[in-house]
Amino acid sequence: MTTATAPADLARRPGAPGPPPRRDRSSRPRRSVTATVLLLLGAAYCLLPVLWVLIASSKSASELFSTFTLMPSTHLLDNIGYLSGYRGGLFWLWMANTALYAGVGALVSTLVSAMAGFALAKYTFPGKSAVFNVILAGVLVPGVILAVPQYLLLAKVGMTNTYWAVLLPSMISPYGIYLCRIFAAATVPTEVLEAARMDGAGDWRGFGLVALPMMRSGLVTVFLFQFVAIWNNYMLPYIMLGDDRLFPVTVGLSGLLNQGATQPAMYTAVVTGALLSILPLVALFLSLQRYWRVDLGAGAVKA
Amino acid sequence: MTMTPFPSTTRRRGKRAGVPYSFLAPALILFAAFLAAPIGYAGYLSLRRIKVSGLGLGAGSRVEKWAGLSNYTRSLSDPEFLPSVQRVALYGLIVVPVMLGLALLMALLLDAGRTRVGVFARTSIFLPYAVPAVIASLLWGFLYLPRISPFVDVLQSLGVTSPDVLSSSWVLYAVANIAIWGGTGFNMIVLYTALRAIPSDLSEAARIDGASDRQIALRIKVPIVLPSLVMTFVFSLIATLQVFAEPMTLRPLTNTISWTWSPLMKVYRDAFIRNDIYSAAATSVVIALATFALSFGFLKLIGARAFNQEDAS
Amino acid sequence: MTRKFLPLAGVLAAAVLLVATGCSSDDSTDTGTTTEGKVNLTYWSWAPNMDKVVAGWNATHPDIQVTVNKQDGGDAAVTKLLTAIKAGSGAPDIMQAEYQKIPTLVSANAIADIAAQSASVKAKFPDSAWNSVTLGSEAVYGVPQDSGPMMFFYRTDIFAKLGVTVPTTWDEYAATARKIHKADPKKYLGTFSAADPGWFSGLSQQAGASWWGVQGDAWTVAINDAATQKVAAYWGGLVQVGAVSNTPMYTPDWNAALNDGTQVGWLGAVWGPGVLEGNAASTKGKWKAAPLPQWDPAKPADGNWGGSATSVTTQSKHKAQAAQFINWLNTDPAALKALVTDANVYPASTDATSTALTSPPAFFADQPDFYTIAAEAGKVTNPFTYGPNVNVAYSAYNDAFAKAAESKQASAFTAALATMQETTTTDMKNSGFKIAG
Repeated sequence: MTTATAPADLARRPGAPGPPPRRDRSSRPRRSVTATVLLLLGAAYCLLPVLWVLIASSKSASELFSTFTLMPSTHLLDNIGYLSGYRGGLFWLWMANTALYAGVGALVSTLVSAMAGFALAKYTFPGKSAVFNVILAGVLVPGVILAVPQYLLLAKVGMTNTYWAVLLPSMISPYGIYLCRIFAAATVPTEVLEAARMDGAGDWRGFGLVALPMMRSGLVTVFLFQFVAIWNNYMLPYIMLGDDRLFPVTVGLSGLLNQGATQPAMYTAVVTGALLSILPLVALFLSLQRYWRVDLGAGAVKA
Repeated sequence: MTMTPFPSTTRRRGKRAGVPYSFLAPALILFAAFLAAPIGYAGYLSLRRIKVSGLGLGAGSRVEKWAGLSNYTRSLSDPEFLPSVQRVALYGLIVVPVMLGLALLMALLLDAGRTRVGVFARTSIFLPYAVPAVIASLLWGFLYLPRISPFVDVLQSLGVTSPDVLSSSWVLYAVANIAIWGGTGFNMIVLYTALRAIPSDLSEAARIDGASDRQIALRIKVPIVLPSLVMTFVFSLIATLQVFAEPMTLRPLTNTISWTWSPLMKVYRDAFIRNDIYSAAATSVVIALATFALSFGFLKLIGARAFNQEDAS
Repeated sequence: MTRKFLPLAGVLAAAVLLVATGCSSDDSTDTGTTTEGKVNLTYWSWAPNMDKVVAGWNATHPDIQVTVNKQDGGDAAVTKLLTAIKAGSGAPDIMQAEYQKIPTLVSANAIADIAAQSASVKAKFPDSAWNSVTLGSEAVYGVPQDSGPMMFFYRTDIFAKLGVTVPTTWDEYAATARKIHKADPKKYLGTFSAADPGWFSGLSQQAGASWWGVQGDAWTVAINDAATQKVAAYWGGLVQVGAVSNTPMYTPDWNAALNDGTQVGWLGAVWGPGVLEGNAASTKGKWKAAPLPQWDPAKPADGNWGGSATSVTTQSKHKAQAAQFINWLNTDPAALKALVTDANVYPASTDATSTALTSPPAFFADQPDFYTIAAEAGKVTNPFTYGPNVNVAYSAYNDAFAKAAESKQASAFTAALATMQETTTTDMKNSGFKIAG
């Protein structure tokens, strides 16, 4: 006799936020060695370069190219110290800049996307599908193509080489709008909105007090997605910024490698910096994991 | 443009008609400024060129002029353009099925729940998503280059000569591996979440009927998550055809990747190395149009299924 | 019907207007501000520790303060400058400009003529360097900052172990390369680098080539001339028999090879010690510097790899003050000393040898004649004219010679040269340049 979980409509995906339904494992106690082995192989494949970075960061500059690759050394703290001291703490300034760009950019982008997605999901108005199609077309445009025209346009208003030059273009995310539309449609029942309206709440209050809380976990997903996209973005800050005190970590680290032919590349600093730059994102993921919901037909875009 | 009926509260029609637009306003303004305007400007630039007079060294000896479609003809007839498109098509054919196949396999294994390492595996496989493509390519470069690669060291100590993965016969797979490494985790989570939404009584019933795990996976679970799989496929394909960061980072390390290895690299080279923003703009427009055609065609084919959840009131 | 579209149209129109009205190209404050007579200048440079060098100026010139913005090496900085010039704002006052980029920069109207302030320092620089900043005209587009006469570095310990002596001609170099590789198949005397066009152009310069030239108001392109073909065929032969390796320099792999002795020598330039110290610190004390091998020992010649001038950009609002700073940076003895010790560059000024280069670089501490060799090399450096599309030629070099090196066929090397020539001339013709000859 099987104990069924709460019956769910097959055609309708779960609307309320919450953890996925717990499975009853009482009828399947057997562990599969194959499954474990395959999963561990997958994990090993994914962790290998990260492990390499950890080991390489522990080597001093003279050891990096002269000792066996997987043999760790003891200079991790020295390397971190050197990197921190490089040009007066420039690396940590880069990390702070990255946090600013990603944090503020993703926050505003999520709000903008939530508003737009809500409007597209819950209202009908002339031009709606045209607007949505145009926005969707924006997902397909590669960043490389936009970089120089965006620069030239921002230069006309004299805003290049400022924080705004990176923040403003990051605030529009067509993919975020697409996701928000789906989340709004799935998690905000129109009846609840109508009920709020009957009670005298205007559309904006309906949005802020009713819809946004219901979309919360979807919004976290959109925020995380855009946060990672901005954090990892290289092209936009590279072309927009001339002062290297405004750089994010990606541009800063690759600059340490591109010193020109007449200077040695700073591999040790770059490898240590790479390690340090991965850690905050990992911590962010782990802490926000329960909010991470990317089903509902969402696709995959590696920015 | 479809005309849908307004809500029945007609007396508030005038006041409410503007509401959706005010919600959309920030997005539309930002979109116009940072997506539409630059694309338009790129289109404009693609029809211009620089004409030089004399030695080209004095002020005013370089003049921007109308070029008609000459940038497009030059770009499309560049002998390196077609090979780069073919290369990237082959690259996509390798990366997308392998990445999604691995993601689906891992998701199914996690969903079957027959292991204690589930959380560890899930977190580890997702980790590469946190690594920017430029950094990932650098790390893999260290793992590929023969003299410093741990794989080569280990294989050599076992008496096996490893192939040079950056040689011309293997370099495509070397670049593909970086993309697969970086993208599998994200897609795995997408598919895993979709699988978790499947009610367990389906697989329970099938198990009672004697179905094996594999049969349950292939006959029940996969068909149900097919919509997610298809959307994942489309977006992965688009991202893969825009491959840029990985070959750019590997290019200085090996002889086997040229400046025109992928179409976007050609755009970068024209814009930033050759300082010919006009030719780069023309190539960009061609690439953008091709991508639009490809993905809109695909989305039209399966578009309705993605949005059948929507409220239409 | 149309009334219903008005709100949507209104939003879009507002968006377009917002973008369009941002068209007042007001002068950006990047290029210097004046408060009560004090002038602030920005300087884009990629030499390390340039800010320490500049601090010396700032201390003694409170009314002209210079801030250094460190850039990525060479190409990236020039691209940013050209984009800023095109955009009308965002360029610095002072720019480090590699010699090979100067025609491109002048052509794009990016750097200004400072003959009024800087023509007076001409006597302090060798002719080849001064020519690079004047392009043969009366204008002065910058003051030479550093130069890069090529030199040969080799591992004394491995040479001793294998019983080989320092090659002084290219024939000897080829023989030594074959001998070393035969004795130990893992070792190579050097490598052919398809990733370093500056290296190859320096070697061609030594052989007597000049890839561009001016004839009246037309350019000539001679990448495919006899001298360069000689160099290409020479290296193609070495790669084909496997006497040198075919992988690029400046990769982690190459660094490892320098460390473990599988790269026994390096054809570098006078700034080489810094690179060796950074990449192969564990081999300190085992290297020695020698003059570049010669084609004809009776007529010694040399070529340049790298080297840059300091220029004033056309967007600068304080060109006179910027030129004043540039003169100081490249002629003042204290500045030259700082350039050597802090910024790791070999100053182009002829005074430098007597004032700032009195002791050898740290990596070659036991070779007191290091800078003498460099000075000799500088004296016999052949002239070389750079054209307006150096980057096109250089990226063509990358692709064509990478293929050739990978194929390990000497014939492919000469074919690659033809490809380079073709690509360069086609690009110039497309832009409207006149090509003579």
